[in-house]
Amino acid sequence: MNTPFFPCAGSRALHAPTRREFVYGLGASLGSVALTSLLAAESQGPLAPKAQQVPAKAKRCIFLMMEGGPSHIDTFDPKPMLEKLHLKEFVREGKQKSAMESGKRYYVKSPFKFAHHGQSGAWMSEPWKHLSTVADDLCFFRGCQVDSVNHPTAMYQMNCGNRFGGDPAIGAWVTYGLGSVNQDLPGFVVLPEISYPQGGSANWSNGYLPAQFQGTPLRPKGSPILDLEPPTGISADHQRANLDLLAQLNNKHAEAHPWHDELKARMHNYELAFRMQTQVPETLDLSKEDVKTKAMYGIGSDATDAFGRKCLLARKLMEKGVRFVQLYAGTWDSHDYIERAHGNLIHQVDQPIAALIKDLKQRGLLDDTLIVWCGEFGRTPDNGVRGGTAYGRDHNPKAMTIWLAGGGCKAGHTIGSTDDRGMEAVEEVHHVRNLHITLLRLLGLDDNKLTFYHAGRFKQLSQFGGQVIEKLIA
Amino acid sequence: MIAKAILLTLLASASLHAEDAEALFVRRVWPLFQEKCLACHGNDEKKIKGGYDMRTQESAMKGGESEKKSIIPGRPEDSPLYLASTRQHTDDWEPMPPKEADKLYAEQLGWIKTWIAGGAPWPDENKRSTIAKANAEKWSAEDGIVVKTSGALSPEWASRRYKPEGLWAYQPVKKPVVPAGVHPIDALLAVKAPAPATDARTFIRRATFDLTGLPPTPEEITAFEKEYSQDQAPSIQHLIDRLLDSPHYGERMARHWLDVTRYADSSGFANDYERGNAWRYRDYVVRSFSADKPYDQFIKEQIAGDETLVGDAGTPASRSGLIAGRSARITPNSELLIATGFLRMGPWELTGMEVAKVARQRFLDDVTNSVGETFLGHSLQCARCHDHKFDPVPTHDYYSIQACFGTTQLVERPAPFLPVENTTGFEEKKYLEARQTEHMAMLARLDDKMLANAVKWYADKNIDRSAWDKAVTSARAFIAGGGKMKKGRSFTGVFETARAALQKQNIPEDQYPPKLVGFEPEDYGNERVARKGLERLKWELERYEAFAFSVYDGRTPQVVSVYQPIRIPQDRMTMGELEQTAILGGGDPFSPTRPVKPGALSVLGSVEFPDAIEGRRTALADWIASKDNPLTTRVIVNRLWLWHFGQAIAGNPNNFGSTGKKPTHPELLDWLAATLVEKKWSIKELHRIIMTSAAYQRSSALKEDSTLSHDEAEKSYAVFKPRRLMAEEMRDAMLSITGELNPTLGGIPNRPEINIEVAMQPRQVMGTFAAAWVPNAQPSQRHRRSLYALKIRGVRDPFMEVFNEPAPDFSCEAREVSTVTPQVFSLFNGQASYDRALALAHRVLKEKTPDAITRIFQLTYGRAPSADEKTACTAHWQAMEKKQSGRTFTKSSPPLAVKRDAVEENTGEKFSFQEKLPAYADFVPDLQPADVDAHTRALADVCLVLLNSNEFAYLY
Repeated sequence: MNTPFFPCAGSRALHAPTRREFVYGLGASLGSVALTSLLAAESQGPLAPKAQQVPAKAKRCIFLMMEGGPSHIDTFDPKPMLEKLHLKEFVREGKQKSAMESGKRYYVKSPFKFAHHGQSGAWMSEPWKHLSTVADDLCFFRGCQVDSVNHPTAMYQMNCGNRFGGDPAIGAWVTYGLGSVNQDLPGFVVLPEISYPQGGSANWSNGYLPAQFQGTPLRPKGSPILDLEPPTGISADHQRANLDLLAQLNNKHAEAHPWHDELKARMHNYELAFRMQTQVPETLDLSKEDVKTKAMYGIGSDATDAFGRKCLLARKLMEKGVRFVQLYAGTWDSHDYIERAHGNLIHQVDQPIAALIKDLKQRGLLDDTLIVWCGEFGRTPDNGVRGGTAYGRDHNPKAMTIWLAGGGCKAGHTIGSTDDRGMEAVEEVHHVRNLHITLLRLLGLDDNKLTFYHAGRFKQLSQFGGQVIEKLIA
Repeated sequence: MIAKAILLTLLASASLHAEDAEALFVRRVWPLFQEKCLACHGNDEKKIKGGYDMRTQESAMKGGESEKKSIIPGRPEDSPLYLASTRQHTDDWEPMPPKEADKLYAEQLGWIKTWIAGGAPWPDENKRSTIAKANAEKWSAEDGIVVKTSGALSPEWASRRYKPEGLWAYQPVKKPVVPAGVHPIDALLAVKAPAPATDARTFIRRATFDLTGLPPTPEEITAFEKEYSQDQAPSIQHLIDRLLDSPHYGERMARHWLDVTRYADSSGFANDYERGNAWRYRDYVVRSFSADKPYDQFIKEQIAGDETLVGDAGTPASRSGLIAGRSARITPNSELLIATGFLRMGPWELTGMEVAKVARQRFLDDVTNSVGETFLGHSLQCARCHDHKFDPVPTHDYYSIQACFGTTQLVERPAPFLPVENTTGFEEKKYLEARQTEHMAMLARLDDKMLANAVKWYADKNIDRSAWDKAVTSARAFIAGGGKMKKGRSFTGVFETARAALQKQNIPEDQYPPKLVGFEPEDYGNERVARKGLERLKWELERYEAFAFSVYDGRTPQVVSVYQPIRIPQDRMTMGELEQTAILGGGDPFSPTRPVKPGALSVLGSVEFPDAIEGRRTALADWIASKDNPLTTRVIVNRLWLWHFGQAIAGNPNNFGSTGKKPTHPELLDWLAATLVEKKWSIKELHRIIMTSAAYQRSSALKEDSTLSHDEAEKSYAVFKPRRLMAEEMRDAMLSITGELNPTLGGIPNRPEINIEVAMQPRQVMGTFAAAWVPNAQPSQRHRRSLYALKIRGVRDPFMEVFNEPAPDFSCEAREVSTVTPQVFSLFNGQASYDRALALAHRVLKEKTPDAITRIFQLTYGRAPSADEKTACTAHWQAMEKKQSGRTFTKSSPPLAVKRDAVEENTGEKFSFQEKLPAYADFVPDLQPADVDAHTRALADVCLVLLNSNEFAYLY
């Protein structure tokens, strides 16, 4: 073993932060005159933009996380065989099966009609009324498999590469690898649902990477960032007055401890936070967007408003130089009544996603923005007793559909396939680690080089390495 | 011999004698190929990458898909194998091995180059072994040590060599001799140009935070300063004794210990169920430190306490190991059961969606690694799938340790409350019962609704419903007679009972109503919330029951899911599977290979433990807690050192292997380890020794004429390294300063106020939403020490989180300290800070001190303000009073219900429901701005600034 790149190891490592690491953005904007002395020192901070490791088109990423596990069979992977098998009963047993998968089962046909769309003839189910108009921009991948059959562990694996949580999320890795263009905003932003997904904020954790790379959730309700504002009634100049006294006391203390670097970093943070109080709400304000744009995203219509806002905000954040935005929509965990549940869910995201793709395209941003659409797993062609008449589906780690758009992906193609019932991927089958490696590659990162020394070894998103799925790359 | 070694490395391109090149191949090149290349180029014939097979001379020479000869004897610079390895010819040859982390070092490249230059000879296996044998002694003297371990997966691994410096931790502890007249620590540190001792005020602040996690009071500071000025050494002794006797000492040490062991009050993952009894383990740790329980005993209790019960608990008493020579220290049975909660600290659950064996294996892997990290300074997980890459830990050892837990089963076990346990506050149970009633009522309403819908369903389908009506009537009678209800904690509905009856009669499914018939989206949601809510309450209600979060020995029962606390089965020794631990191929529980017996780390000498169902863990615990185990004692004294100095002697307290940092002062580490045993494993004695050293008493400021950089000075202990307060210290110190802190020890977890948005944040758990975080009603209940705050894996107090409280998924060997902007939002804008500032201002004005500003400085910094500080603060107070005079306040009342908006799982439609928050009904808020005048509020602005200042946040 050679000397580690980073002086830390162990589970939660003893890690003496360098001076540089103290100042972190949620931005290290350095407009204030009082802070110019820090400028030179900090322009190379941990979030400073870094060169790609391998040449690639995509510079940033929007990750659409359909949590709960969307059914490939009812969205992008039609299974006519299930028409024939509909409600046919069978029994599944075995030591390696969970209680959910075992026992009396019924096949369930999709309630949706499918049609070819675009020049590429991509299969999409009927509810995708808007997304089908950009079918040729999408690259469908039907060969992905994950290890876990339950939500939080599968979510952790999809997001962080490890089933058990605690590891850095892909957004953290990408920001660690590429830095961020805008030092005034976090490099990795998360737009969660009002209710957090199973597994909670560990889904956007920095894990063992430095805290700067943690996903910052911008909350859809209330203060976008916790305690961004002081309690009601405390005005800006009230706060400014308190800050001035704080600076006075801290300066005196710093004079007595001139060797203590951390003091300056901490003082700097107070000024930065004060400026962010106005900057962040400005960035998040969608009221100034024109009516047409908002309508395009479905903002203002009941079903599509929430996800439409997230998609529009994602586009704005991309334009502002944020590296990685992850959007959550859920929950796609339709064990019962799939027609109603999936029908509604597709309706909620369909128009906003199509608008996002079109909008990025018309702004010339689609080429270098990678869009990923996926859940944590797919769903089974069959259901247990309780869905026998209600037509739902259970979790399926062996088959799912993921699609990519923009950012150098092989748009207009469908890669891989599943068996005739949609139970298992059979062609171009890849473990999710290969998907991760491919996403990194599309973003100009090499999984084998994007490593961090922790707990006795160099760790990486894919855990143990793997291969690029070349067919997904244009 | 040495000359020869140098020759081998340096003569990169010079030609060698044929036999030298052969020897180089055997000694260096072939092992290197095996380590770095063969995984992809030969070991697995089916998966050979790039068509290049390196198993034989012929195929290795031939090359792969490039169809170029890979090795050209005599010409390394033309040999692709060498060029690819250099990583300098990426245009033609992809760097090999591909991973940056695996790249070859200059020395290794030199071997390949020299070997090719020497003709690239490739002796066959027989000859290789002859050459190796002939040179064995010589090479071993030159190259490092072969370490004896047992059960390696391959002979190559078993005979690999280790640099002696990477094996320091396995050597017996050797207590160095230190000169008389000097404190042994100072003698062994041998600091050059040390800073002088710090002043009394700084020292008491340092020592008090270190041993109690709290600030000294102004009165304590004054008293100590006086005593110190009269007679320095005794005053320090006296102070240390006083602090070690403080009940808060145990709390402080528990915080450290629980970081390592990953304490939380919930299970994590999909359900994140509450672990109602985990708090008793937390308090056990506090008690153990406070009582100065010998560390060896502390180890044994946590690993095997349940195997050493005395009396009637049904398990053989094999306590001799525990209490030999210490009959006065018999631990009560409840305590022994509680102690083993340690084994279950990791996140764990078993849902119906997971394969039971996989979940069981997760526990086994977790506990194996946890014991390794906590007590042995070894992250054992690296050896789960393969022999350890860097340390002499074969996979065999991993599973030997795991075998010690092969009969360990998870359970919530009856354990009567002990007189020392705090069992107050159980009346809060009524709030949970109110929620229970609420859920039951909802299910009853929905039951009625389904019954009505069923009638409609029959009408719509035009099906005869006489069978149904009959079933409903008998279902009503069944339920009126008590049904399946257990103490009102589950619900059985008439509809479901009737439906099940028809199902049993084999009536076709389309002839009776479907489950949840006629439900609207909100009905689905409400049903789920209520049903799952009842399930979750079972876990929460466990808090007040005399059960221990514990383990038992037995066969592994067949269980497919765990949705309520587990009770010990009657037939633990006979029913279920007697696990045969085996080396698992790829760590997969469905791929057992060679069976293994209970054992330990063979690098420390081969041991085999009894493999009866009971007693395996006792054997392991005795092995760990032996004075002769060089890892155990070094690991704990290294942690203690870290907890005092903010830097460990061996820089990775959870990793004493070759990839961990080597000890900066190995002799000191050994001296401390040996001394711990001499002092009968007394942790308090170690504190006394450490804190009476000059190193601990040193100033943080460099000696004026020192030529060291500050960094160097800190590392060499020439100065004392300052540190920022930990998240918990920061909160506890604020509560202490304001006089609000409730110093009660132990008991059920409390719920302080956390950021209200996080408290009310809807959070998905399996099939439903977790309940909101509702703070305790009384301020005194909320203002307990942070140690006692309910720790739910899925909801973290954002204040704690931003100030680097570790998440409880991984063991935390040392807190990180980052300075990030959200800390400012939390500490400068957060409601809690405003509350503390107001409470401090109120306290000081209520005391009617002649000089409020001075008093605030004394409370916050432990000193009086300077003249200009006082002027500035006074001026600020006056200026802010003007601002504050204009403000008006409306009193907000606590929310008694919260509206939850969500997407309903069955229908994908938006759905909202009211979550009642009965515990808010009796809520008494902290002091509010509206309760005081502008004069007080303005002083609170001064207080807020001081609580945010660096002087408060840092400890020197």
